[in-house]
Amino acid sequence: MTEPLLSVRDLKTQFFTEDGTVRAVDGISFDVYEGEIVGLVGESGAGKSVATSSILRLVDSPGEIVGGEIEFKGETIFGLEEDDAGELRPRDEMLSESEMRERIRGREIAIIFQDPMESLNPVFTVGGQLREFIEINRDLGADEAKEEAIDMLREVGIPAPESRYDEYPHQFSGGMRQRVLIAMALACEPDLIIADEPTTALDVTVEGEILEMVTELQEKYDTSFIWVTHDMSVVAEICDRVNVMYLGEIIEQAEVDDLFYDTKHPYTSALLDSMPRPDRTVDELRPIQGVMPEAINPPAGCRFHSRCPEAREVCREVHPELRDLSEEGEPVHTAACVKHDAFDVGYDESRSIETQATGGFSAGLTETGGEAE
Amino acid sequence: MSLLRYTLRRFAQAIPVLIGIVTITFFLANQIPGDPVEIMLGPTPGQEQVEAIRAQYGLDRPLYQRYLSYLTSVATGDLGLSIYYDRPVLEMIMLRLPVTLLLMLSAFAFAIVTAIPLGVISAKRRNEPADHISRIISLIGVSTPSFWIGLVLIIVFAFYLGWFPARGLVLPWADPTDVRGAATQIEVIRQSAHHLFLPMIGLGTLQMAQITRIERSSMVDSLQGEYVKLARAYGVPESTIVRKHAFQVAQLPVITIIGLGLSTALGGAVLTETVFGIQGMGRLIITAIQNQDYQLIMGTTLVFGFVYVIGVIITDIMYGYLDPRVTYGDE
Repeated sequence: MTEPLLSVRDLKTQFFTEDGTVRAVDGISFDVYEGEIVGLVGESGAGKSVATSSILRLVDSPGEIVGGEIEFKGETIFGLEEDDAGELRPRDEMLSESEMRERIRGREIAIIFQDPMESLNPVFTVGGQLREFIEINRDLGADEAKEEAIDMLREVGIPAPESRYDEYPHQFSGGMRQRVLIAMALACEPDLIIADEPTTALDVTVEGEILEMVTELQEKYDTSFIWVTHDMSVVAEICDRVNVMYLGEIIEQAEVDDLFYDTKHPYTSALLDSMPRPDRTVDELRPIQGVMPEAINPPAGCRFHSRCPEAREVCREVHPELRDLSEEGEPVHTAACVKHDAFDVGYDESRSIETQATGGFSAGLTETGGEAE
Repeated sequence: MSLLRYTLRRFAQAIPVLIGIVTITFFLANQIPGDPVEIMLGPTPGQEQVEAIRAQYGLDRPLYQRYLSYLTSVATGDLGLSIYYDRPVLEMIMLRLPVTLLLMLSAFAFAIVTAIPLGVISAKRRNEPADHISRIISLIGVSTPSFWIGLVLIIVFAFYLGWFPARGLVLPWADPTDVRGAATQIEVIRQSAHHLFLPMIGLGTLQMAQITRIERSSMVDSLQGEYVKLARAYGVPESTIVRKHAFQVAQLPVITIIGLGLSTALGGAVLTETVFGIQGMGRLIITAIQNQDYQLIMGTTLVFGFVYVIGVIITDIMYGYLDPRVTYGDE
C-alpha cells in the first residue's frame, strides 16, 4: 500500500480549564490517503473539531496538543520526544510555527468551516478575501490571483462571478457563502481539505447540491478530504472510509459500506438507528439514550457503557483498544468493543447491567418506543 | 452617489433638530429668573433708561413675537445682538469658536492616536501585564474629572517643572506681529502647540480612556471571530490579521463612541477653558449665563447643538463608509 498523505498517531489534545483537564481528543489514530474522502463522525462534543484544528496546529488556548504524532507528506506537523532528563520536548524535525503558516496552512491543508455566515469577514468583499488567500498560498500577483478567484467562483457554481466578486458577504445567501468557502479551499490547491461540518448550517436541498458539487470537484482535482459531520446520511453520500468518534476516542474505523452493513460497535449502530434510512423501514426512530458524559472525567472501562444497550459488567472494567475485526482478505475494519470474540475478556459470561439505554431511570419513558423493525 | 445623497439627506434631517434646539433654548433662557437690563444698569436704574434699553433689544414685545422673530433671524444667519457686550452674537462666536474647535480637535486627535494602539495591544495581549497597565490607565481616565486633571497638569508641568505655560492659548494662524516672542509663522505654531499641550491632555484623557476600553473589547471580540480563525487557517500572518482582518471590523463601535464623545467633550471644553484661562466658547457661555445675556446664551447653545449634530452626521457617514452592511435607505 502507498504511504498515507496524512497520518495521525495517538493524538491527544487537552484543554486545561479551571474545572479540570478536558481530554477532548484522547489518543486517536487514523490515516488519509491520496484522493479519498475520510469521514470523522460523532455527536457534538466528541472531539471532532478539536481533532481537525490539531492537524493544523490551531488549537485555541487553553487547549494544547499534549501527545501523539501528526505526519503530512513526510513532514512532522507534530511530534514529541524525550530529552535526557525524561522531559517531553518537540522533535527537531517538527515544523516551526512560521513553517506551519507558510508551508502547510492553506497551501497544503485548507479548511472549510461550519458556519458560512460567520466565516467570511463582513467588511471586505468576497472576491478580495478569496484573492488574498490565493495570493498568499500560491505566490500569485494580484491580477492573476483575481483571475483565479473569479474562475474558482464560477467553478463552485456562483452565477455571474465577475460581478459577484466585488460584493460583500451579506449580499450572499448561506449556500452561496459556503460555496465561496469551498472555492477558497480549492483555489489554494491544497492536497488535503478539512471540511468541518460544512453543510450543517444549510437546509437540506442546499446541502444536497453542495455535496454533489464537492464530489464532482473532488474527482476533478483529486484532493483528499477529511469530512467532519454528525450526519450519517452525509457520510453515506460522500465518504470512502469512516472514523466514528465518541468522547475523544475513535471507536470504529471501516470502509463506508462495511460500516453501514456490518456495523461492529454498538455506538455506531445507535447512530445509524437514530437517523432515517431509505433502505430500512422503521416505525419509529430510536434516539441514543442519555447524554454524552463530560470529557473531564470520562467513565471507566468503555466510555460508551453508560448509554450502551449491550453493556455488561465487564464493560465497566475493561477499556477496549481498537482491534482489527476483519476476516482474511477483507479491508481493515476496526472497532473497540469487547463484545467481539477477538477481545476475549469474558463478555459472554458477564452479567448485563442497567444503563440509560437498557432501563435505569429512564426505563418507563422508553419501553414503548423500543420495539422497532 | 448613494453616499452623497445619504449625506445630503442627513443634513436635511438635521434642520428640524436645530429648530428644536432654538425653540428649547429660547424658552429656557427666558425662564431664567432675573433681568439682564437690571444687571446692565446696576441697582438703581431710571425707569426711562430701562424702557429705552428694553425697546432697543426688543424685550418689550410679547414672548411669542420675540420667539418668531428670533427664529426668522436665525434662519437668515443673524443671531442678534449681545445685550451685555452690545456686539453681534455671531461675530463674537466666530472669534471664539475656532479656539474651542482647535482645543477639541487636538484633544480628540490625542485620544484617538493613543487609545487605538493601546486598545489593540491590550486586546492582543489579553490578561498580560500590558493589558493590566492599559486597564489601569483607562480606569483612572474615565473616573477623573477633566478639570481636576487640568489642575494637576498645571501644578506639575507648569508650576513645578515649568515645561508648559499654565494659562492662555496662542492660535496657530495668528499674525506673528501680534504674538510676543515670535518672528515667523513657524514660531507662532510652535508656541501654539506649546500652549495647547496641557489643555489637550486635560480634555482628551476622558475620551482616550473611553475609546481604549471600547477598542479593547471590540478587538477582543473580533479576534475571536470565525473570519480570524479562517485567516489563520489560510496562513495569513498574525500581524496582518490584527492590522487588517480583525481591526477594520472592530472599529465600528469605536466610531460610535467617538461620535458620542463629542457631546461630553463640548461640556468638558467649558471646564478646561476655565481652568486654563482660554478665551473659547466655554468661557463665552459662562459669561453669557452670568450676565443673563439672552441672545448670547441662545447663540452659543445653538452653535454647540450645531457642532454636535454635525458630529453625529459625520459618525453616521463614517459608519456607512466602513460597514458595507449599512444601507443608505434608498434600496
